[in-house]
Amino acid sequence: MNKTSLIAITIVILGIIASIFILGSKSNGGANSASAENSQIKDGVQYITINAGGGYSPKVSSAKAGIPTKLIVKTNGAYDCSSSLAIHSLGFQKILPQTGETLIDVGTPKAGEPLRGVCGMGMYSFLVNFN
Amino acid sequence: MSKKHTFHVSGTHCASCKILIEDILKEQDFIRSAKVDLKKEIVEIETEGDKNSEEIASFLNEKIKPNGYTLSVEKILKENKNDNTIWQAIPIGLAFLVLFFLLQKSGLLNLGLGSKTTPATSFVIGLIASVSSCLAIVGGLVLSLSAKVSQDEISDKKNFILFHAGRLGSFAILGGVLGSIGQAIGINFTFTAILGILASLVMLMLGLNLTGVFKRNQVTLPTGIFGFFRKIEHKTLTPLIIGFGTFFLPCGFTQSMQVAALSSGSFVSGFLIMFAFALGTLPVLALLSFGSASFAHGKHAPLFFKSAGVVVIGLGLFSLLAGLAGLGIINPLFNI
Repeated sequence: MNKTSLIAITIVILGIIASIFILGSKSNGGANSASAENSQIKDGVQYITINAGGGYSPKVSSAKAGIPTKLIVKTNGAYDCSSSLAIHSLGFQKILPQTGETLIDVGTPKAGEPLRGVCGMGMYSFLVNFN
Repeated sequence: MSKKHTFHVSGTHCASCKILIEDILKEQDFIRSAKVDLKKEIVEIETEGDKNSEEIASFLNEKIKPNGYTLSVEKILKENKNDNTIWQAIPIGLAFLVLFFLLQKSGLLNLGLGSKTTPATSFVIGLIASVSSCLAIVGGLVLSLSAKVSQDEISDKKNFILFHAGRLGSFAILGGVLGSIGQAIGINFTFTAILGILASLVMLMLGLNLTGVFKRNQVTLPTGIFGFFRKIEHKTLTPLIIGFGTFFLPCGFTQSMQVAALSSGSFVSGFLIMFAFALGTLPVLALLSFGSASFAHGKHAPLFFKSAGVVVIGLGLFSLLAGLAGLGIINPLFNI
């Protein structure tokens, strides 16, 4: 094959890689922000539920600011990276139980200061917006 | 009667090559002095007798060929050939990266695997882990080191066996240690993350080296990590130690297994869990290392090294960005 056609193939493949990453985060974000009913308020405390295992879901969600908030991270047979969770703004780092629920105290979040969790290797993450 | 000759030399990739070539050349009776210039890739020699340049070049070539160098009167023009290989290598390497990322996205790897960790389940988890995102860092490192070792020496198989033995052995023993000390220690995230970033930097460097993009710098990098690897890669201990080190590389599956070993409560159960896990990762990793060895000695070696370089650079970049995100230094750029 000549150089030009090889370069053309390279550009096409680069395009595929870019679309894997870009479309990947977009479609997930879009789908989840529509169905982000993952918080409920009980006895004046807001509970936000995140499922871990093969990534986090919902990846992007929103909750109310200004009330005491706790994060419930549910795992069900999670052995991958998402079971090693770090939330840097809280100084939280823990390897979650393979199956179970972990309660994390978030304090009282302020509006516009989102909460971001990443897995230990950094390939999975989730974001909770407060407003 | 003395005569001066200048030859082009290729295959020099380190500062010690200069010394080695000069030593070999000076051993010859008719050579008075020899001086290698690594930057220009030439060697200047002063000879006695009246042989012409071609005769001397072919004679000396025989002497230094076993060490992987070639002498020539004319500069060997490899540029054109190399150009084409790299353009073939880039699409091949990128295609592998596409397959890898598609596999991660497909969700095929997120099998539900009960909550009880037994040696049998940890073997299956090892099988999954070896094609998961952990492959980016552990596999990338194995591929780059294997290709590099195969490129440099012929007795690479011994090194690979030692590496895999070191990996299996250290997983089993450290698993046993975790099992017997129980919850006394926690595995430090920051430590593994920093180790992961170091590994990805090594991968990037080896990757650039394999593709041959860094030809110039390769010659002017006498010290640093490269020199370190070059110096130690010949010893028996090094592959063992690198195998041992993979225990601490960031991989979610490995960390889960470490926790399972921690809470298993005894040396034997921790030992079995980690050993079974490492055994599960063995087929893919062995394929990577022994596969690169057989390619490296085959006809398509240059293409293989360059393609492997492209794959390794891609995986290295991915792990570097992910590692920085994991440490909270940058925001996650992607979410596979």
